[in-house]
Amino acid sequence: MEIDPRGQRFSAAVTSIVLVAVLLTGSWVLLAAQAVVFAIGVFFGLRHHPYGLLYAAVVRPRLGPPAELEDESPPRFAQGVGLVFALAGVAGYSLGLGWPAITATSFALGAAFLNAVFGFCLGCEMFLIIKRVIPKSISEEVP
Amino acid sequence: MSGAAAVAVTLGLATVFGLVHRWRSGRLKEQDVRAEWDFELGERATLVQFSSAFCAPCRATRRVLAEVAAMVEGVRHVEIDAESRLELVRELNILKTPTVLVLDASGRIVQRASGQPGKADVIAALGRV
Repeated sequence: MEIDPRGQRFSAAVTSIVLVAVLLTGSWVLLAAQAVVFAIGVFFGLRHHPYGLLYAAVVRPRLGPPAELEDESPPRFAQGVGLVFALAGVAGYSLGLGWPAITATSFALGAAFLNAVFGFCLGCEMFLIIKRVIPKSISEEVP
Repeated sequence: MSGAAAVAVTLGLATVFGLVHRWRSGRLKEQDVRAEWDFELGERATLVQFSSAFCAPCRATRRVLAEVAAMVEGVRHVEIDAESRLELVRELNILKTPTVLVLDASGRIVQRASGQPGKADVIAALGRV
C-alpha cells in the first residue's frame, strides 16, 4: 500500500499536539484515545488512520497531488512503537505512577515530534537493532 | 507542573537530536575494511546498499545509487535486504538502514554512509576510488 508522505507528517504533527496536551493535563483518557488512534494505524493500515482521514478530507484538497508516494510500512512500524509507549503511559497514569507515565508519554512525543519536524524514520533506526538482538539470543539457545 | 517540564525537556532534546541527526545522516566517511562478497563486483567500484522493510529513505537511496551506477562506467549497485543477512549486518556492524558502502575494485570498503547520501557526494566518493 502506498501513501502520501505529507499526510504522514501531518498525522505526526497532530499526534505531537495531542501528546503535549496529555503531558500538560495528565489525562489518561486523552492518552488512551491516542493509543486507539495508533492501534487503528497499526492494525487496519494508515488508510483508516483518523488523522490521515482528516488530512485527506481537509488538507490535501488544498495542496494538490503528492510529488511521490511512499510505502506505508515504515510509518506503520512507527505507529506500533507509538502504541507501545502510549499503552505504557496509560497504564502509568491510571495506576497513579506519575514519572513512569510522563517518561513513556515523553518518548512517544519525542518520536512524533522528530517525525513531524525532521521527517525522522523510526523504523530505519530501530528495526535493525531490534532484529540484531532478538534472533541472536534465540539462535544461541538452540543447540 | 512536571508535565510542562517534560514537554519542554522532550521538545528541546528532540530538536537537538534532530539537528545533529540531520547533519550526520548520509555523510560518507572514509573506511579501510577488507571484506568478502558473494556477488559480482563492479569493474571500478560497487555501491552496496543495506535496506529494510521499515525504511522510508531506502527507496530514494536506491534511485540515487541506480542513477549513479548507470551514469558512471564500471560501477555496480547492489542492494541487500539487511533482515535476510543478519550475520553480515553484525559482522559489518550495521545499525540502521539505509547504510551505503562504497567498495573499490577489489571489494575493500573505502567509504561508508549511514542514511541517504547525496548524489553529488556519491559521485565525488567514486572519484577517490
